[in-house]
Amino acid sequence: MAFKKWLPVLLSVSVVLGLSGCGEETSSSADANTVEESGEAATVDFPTQPITAVVPNSAGGGNDAAARTLSKLMSNLDLVSQPITVQNKPGGGQAVGMAEFATKYNKDPHSLYVGSPPTIINNLRNEGNSPYGYKDVTPLGMIYSDIAILAVKKDSKYKDLKSFVADLKANPEEISIVGGSGPGSQDHLTVMLLADKSGIDPKKVKYIGYDGSGDALTSLLGENGDALTTDLSGITEFVKSGDVRILAVASPERLSGDLADVPTYTEQGVDLVYYNWRGIFGPQDLDPGIVGFWDENLKALTESQEFQDEIAASGFVPGYLDSAEFTTYLEEQEVMFEEILGKLDMLK
Amino acid sequence: MNTFDFLMQGFAVAFQWQNILFAFAGVLIGTAVGVLPGIGPMNGVALLLPVTASLTAGLSPENAAASALILLAGIYYGAMYGGSTTSILLNTPGESASVMTTLDGYQMAKNGRAGAALAISAIGSFVAGIVALFGLILLAKPLSLIAIRFGPAEYFALMVLGLLAVSGLVGKSMTKALMMMMLGLALGTVGIDAVSGSARFTFDIPVLYSGLAFLTIAVGLFALGEVFKTTLEKDSTDAPIAKITRVMPTKQDMKDSAFPIARSSVLGFFIGVLPGAGATIASSFSYVMEKKISKNPEKFGKGAIEGVAAPETANNAAAGGALIPLLTLGIPGSGTTAIMMGAFIMYNIQPGPLLFQNHPNVVWGLIASMFVGNLMLLVLNMPLVKVFAKLIDTPVKYLMPLIIAFSVFGVYAVQFTTFDLMLLLVAGVFGYFLSKNDFPLPPLVLALVLGPMLENNLMRALTLSNGDYMIFFEKPLAAIFLVIAGLWLAVPLFLKNKSNKIKKALVEN
Repeated sequence: MAFKKWLPVLLSVSVVLGLSGCGEETSSSADANTVEESGEAATVDFPTQPITAVVPNSAGGGNDAAARTLSKLMSNLDLVSQPITVQNKPGGGQAVGMAEFATKYNKDPHSLYVGSPPTIINNLRNEGNSPYGYKDVTPLGMIYSDIAILAVKKDSKYKDLKSFVADLKANPEEISIVGGSGPGSQDHLTVMLLADKSGIDPKKVKYIGYDGSGDALTSLLGENGDALTTDLSGITEFVKSGDVRILAVASPERLSGDLADVPTYTEQGVDLVYYNWRGIFGPQDLDPGIVGFWDENLKALTESQEFQDEIAASGFVPGYLDSAEFTTYLEEQEVMFEEILGKLDMLK
Repeated sequence: MNTFDFLMQGFAVAFQWQNILFAFAGVLIGTAVGVLPGIGPMNGVALLLPVTASLTAGLSPENAAASALILLAGIYYGAMYGGSTTSILLNTPGESASVMTTLDGYQMAKNGRAGAALAISAIGSFVAGIVALFGLILLAKPLSLIAIRFGPAEYFALMVLGLLAVSGLVGKSMTKALMMMMLGLALGTVGIDAVSGSARFTFDIPVLYSGLAFLTIAVGLFALGEVFKTTLEKDSTDAPIAKITRVMPTKQDMKDSAFPIARSSVLGFFIGVLPGAGATIASSFSYVMEKKISKNPEKFGKGAIEGVAAPETANNAAAGGALIPLLTLGIPGSGTTAIMMGAFIMYNIQPGPLLFQNHPNVVWGLIASMFVGNLMLLVLNMPLVKVFAKLIDTPVKYLMPLIIAFSVFGVYAVQFTTFDLMLLLVAGVFGYFLSKNDFPLPPLVLALVLGPMLENNLMRALTLSNGDYMIFFEKPLAAIFLVIAGLWLAVPLFLKNKSNKIKKALVEN
């Protein structure tokens, strides 16, 4: 009786499964065709097996979210015929995952690494150094980024960047700046860049590192810190509710939407543009055909409506760079980090 | 609409059939996750996060978010119920909040009262869950405002008090307990310091950058240590384990536990509200408090039912309290709530000051579902108690290999490194020798967990004050905590030569 009742359901499920299975096959062959037609990757048959995306952080973090978005949308949009599985290798502020990827996956073209600025910084800094950096892997593309911001509590006396910088210059020991990660991390270095570019000795600036941007935000709201350096995505709700005021965003131009009246660093006279980027990397010495494959598909991914909706909802900003542009960008960032770490005596 | 209307609306969401199903699946998985050593609530929630996304794919965004969060929250507090099981039966805390439960829980199991211990944890957890929910509904906003005022100086003082309180009250010798605490603090310094950014005791080995994992050390010290002890000390294996005469707690047990459960629910809830401190400190404090005010403090550590009821109640109440900063401020107070925050964001819901306004159905549905879930857990756990209590009858020759297998599997599943397996073995050997010589293990593992927080907050407080130590006395709360902590050490020394009369007077003060 019960079985009879469920029979139509079972049948329809199996039919649907069968059909969707066919759909996948056709779409993947179509995929292969487009690759061949474009001529870039005529000789590579890629991917032939499931792809592993190594994430150097635990589940739930920013890089993890980027990897899961990549994995989900690449298959939903039928861009990559093989599944992308996410492998979390947390520890050492990304140094463990980086070492693992650079040494154990270096011969496996079916692997990806999802990283952010520590990919460069860890390789440069003196303490907690990672022996591997972006030169030990192949940059494939930057898919989106978060923007560094400087914020104060709503009732703070600082209404703009100018008054804040003036006070910081006069009494650096009076002002504490809180951030969600330790010294030598991006939260710390953006403030140091600000100090350096405003003619303040970065070593005199009081920076207090917390375990995560949530804790740092708490200390700002609880008046245990005067200003907060963090990424935009975690703080938009507090700006909307009026609890927090952003003094400056590190984007080249003003943002759109709710945050259109927040000024940039540049327009307030500080030449500071900083993205907390999310990048996709492949193993070292990757076949140029496969690099071409990722260039094409990452571009298609970032141009899709689904992707744009997803990152807009999380408060990230788009900004796709292909493998060549991304490599150049990383080289520029390396120079910038090297300089500021040098001034802080934190360079290896 | 007032709070009551919102709550009723929440129940309407929670009683949708798919949400009842999700709540049940959540608490069931949570119980399993809690029982297995190694896989704590944090990993359980993280592992299930992608699965919930596909399960709820067909629903509208708002409904999908409510259902997914109901499931994940179920795992969270379900694991808190289940977490006591290994502490009681195998002397192995699966997470730091269950460390205190091993003290009396395992002794009760050895005396053939495993059933009573498990049952009282389930009952205590249920009461705590309900108390915390009422607290959440009535006090969320004012408490969150107090919690964010807690600065580095207050945290430092609270951690000092927590550590000293535990070390002063477990084991036979305070000196040994303090030695263990210092060892734990020392082990906690391994890794990259969060405040100064310098690498300590890492020898340029990346696997050490993030420090020694609590899980590995705790499972090694407690579980493997116990296995080595049982194996090496043959006579204890031959001794007949006390027969289980009765699975459910007696009337006297219930009477003894009633007040500890009530007190620990309230205490646990309030400590849970503080971001970061949470369940571990709550369970330690409640144990210490019960021992302190007990008429028979000598019973503690030998299988006192209050010693199980108090910490297990407190850690569940703290889990409820920890939701307050998450829901009202968007600030996760623990690793598990951080992952739940990720779940909110995955459904395009930003936890924060606007959450209750923008998504009342999701929040109130979640809160209402926790009433349902807690009831399910009580019903689910009482029959399970009988099953688990029988585990203790498993012959040692089967039980020991099983514990080793679970320990190795659990640690590797979470850490993914062979380094942690080596560390597990080393910790096991140390655990054996330490407990053989009456060195209490809880101060060591608690110091390992709290040490980095203690140190970071000390550094932050001193950075704030430009190196002036007076900051700890200028902040009134911090000063009070530190004075109590000082008394904790000084009073017992002072009392050694004094009569009981003075002791009573001081305790009353």
